[in-house]
Amino acid sequence: MSKSFLVKRSIRLIIVFFIIILINFLLPRVMPGNPATILANEYQLPPEAVESLEELLKLDRPLSEQFIAYLYSLFTGQWGYSYKYYPTTVFELIMQRLPWTLLLLGTSSITVFLMGVALGIVAGWRRGTRVDAAITFSAVLVYAIPYYWLALTFQFVFGNVLGWFPISQALTPGAVYNSVLDYIADVLWHLTLPVLAITLTAYATYTLVTRNTMVDVLSEDFIMVDAAKGLPQRKIMWHAARNAILPPVTLLAIRIGHIVGGAVFTETVFSYPGVGYLIYESIIFKDYPVLNAAFFMLALTVIIANFIADLIYSLLDPRVKYER
Amino acid sequence: MRGDREITYESYESSKRKLMDFMESLSRATYYIMIKNKKGLLGFIILLALGMVAVFADYLAPYDPYEIVGDPFQPPSDKFPLGTNDIGQDILSEVIHGTRISFYVGLTAPTIATIIGLVLGLMAGYLGRIFDDIISGVIDIMLSIPSLPLIIVLAAYLGPSLTNIILVIAFFEWVGVARVVRAQTLSVKERPYIEVAKALGASSSRIMFRHILPNIAPLTIAYIILGATSAILTEAGLSFLGLGDPTAKSWGQILNHAYARNAFALGLWMWAIIPGLLIAVIGMGFTLLGMAIEEYVNPRLKSYEAK
Repeated sequence: MSKSFLVKRSIRLIIVFFIIILINFLLPRVMPGNPATILANEYQLPPEAVESLEELLKLDRPLSEQFIAYLYSLFTGQWGYSYKYYPTTVFELIMQRLPWTLLLLGTSSITVFLMGVALGIVAGWRRGTRVDAAITFSAVLVYAIPYYWLALTFQFVFGNVLGWFPISQALTPGAVYNSVLDYIADVLWHLTLPVLAITLTAYATYTLVTRNTMVDVLSEDFIMVDAAKGLPQRKIMWHAARNAILPPVTLLAIRIGHIVGGAVFTETVFSYPGVGYLIYESIIFKDYPVLNAAFFMLALTVIIANFIADLIYSLLDPRVKYER
Repeated sequence: MRGDREITYESYESSKRKLMDFMESLSRATYYIMIKNKKGLLGFIILLALGMVAVFADYLAPYDPYEIVGDPFQPPSDKFPLGTNDIGQDILSEVIHGTRISFYVGLTAPTIATIIGLVLGLMAGYLGRIFDDIISGVIDIMLSIPSLPLIIVLAAYLGPSLTNIILVIAFFEWVGVARVVRAQTLSVKERPYIEVAKALGASSSRIMFRHILPNIAPLTIAYIILGATSAILTEAGLSFLGLGDPTAKSWGQILNHAYARNAFALGLWMWAIIPGLLIAVIGMGFTLLGMAIEEYVNPRLKSYEAK
């Protein structure tokens, strides 16, 4: 793997990381009304309380001093208290919710990628046929479907009407598990509808990109050589597909943010106890410390996932390697 | 004096001819994009139908969407074809007026984004050096920041207003446009006629906006149309999360109320199904039309169909 590529990407990772920290630090401070006065308006606090809050949050100090204090508390996990779940700290809350979001994100990234690329390969291979037209058209149709709408519909049809899957939460409330397998089964049972909703709304872009690359690849010389050698069709298709898989990997790196977006909406619909649902709750309750922390964690997840996708890409694409 | 008049007449003739040429190429483009291309035709029909609804919303809607016209939570009936919402407003009227918000958001946000992306992309591509370093760096970083979480946080702090939402969307959408415009500019600026213009002493801004821009303008129109889908989806998403403008009844807002009031459990499924379906349909209309324009502008893509 190219060293300079790795260094460049690492530098970008660090810059983006600091920009996100800066946004998180500045947003509550540059917006009209500082966090103390917002709290005061929200909960009808007396002026003395506002003063002591300002002191507590160090809002009376210069901005640079505030920033250093902010960095210190950020890296030591002192993220303050949630307004809604008061005795719980923001850090605890996020750590409870994060594993569920990572599970949902990880699973749906895989399913989205597999479904999108598989359909794209088929459409590209059978270009110009009805199969191609059907796959392309359905991809354009689902491209514009809002995540939450499909999630609501699935929740209603498969949850309320048919009763096949639970309509909310990540585990059956009050369930006692006899074995680990029972627990895993319950987790998967609750995970099915959210993952299905994300997959069916997010796969389209991968399909369209894979199809177009596939069509491009199929017109290249080595495919003609394959055909001239008399290779069976299946082998030729596999050969072309292997070469058509790079753009969708790049796309996964760029678009992982979209899957995160899908998770926010889908978690909200299914009251799935992840960071996305936490964002919805914090918006409704104006729980700004939680909103900031949830944004921070989601952003961090995305930039790290981007970085990993970049590494995978550089391993897959020989052209990124030539610098040794 | 006489000479002056001749020159004026000639320049009048030439600008008239230019206009005719322009009209001709425009009508040819329209024909290929909206009539010959099946995708474009379908997209155009969808947008035309919804556009009529938006324009004539006042006549089509049976009631004022902000007026309480019946009992709350009514199922669909002759009087209220889609039922009434939680405070007794007519859902059909809400949905019809929501078309306007969708077009408004879908056209303003990408237009702002495209203008910003066009100017910055041209500067990065044509001026190069420090401009390119800075603008490309910003693009690279913007692309790495997860937009939806940041849009949510920004909208939460900026407060619920349609203008804020549009500006926030535009703030994230210009990046994609700038990247493509930069790449296009890099290839166009190597063409001989740019060299000629430069040798004749044309200024950088004249070359960028008079000579390069016309070459990439059609592509940017495709971007405005394609960007509409994501702008509409983002606005609807923010409204769904409760960050929408309460004074502008968008489809996302209607969905938000349906979700918050458990429309499905109450059996009022039309309340949630219709607005979501319309978001998907208008998005499909813009996407299909955008794809058709892209295929017309970039024939390499069109060859896919021929193969």
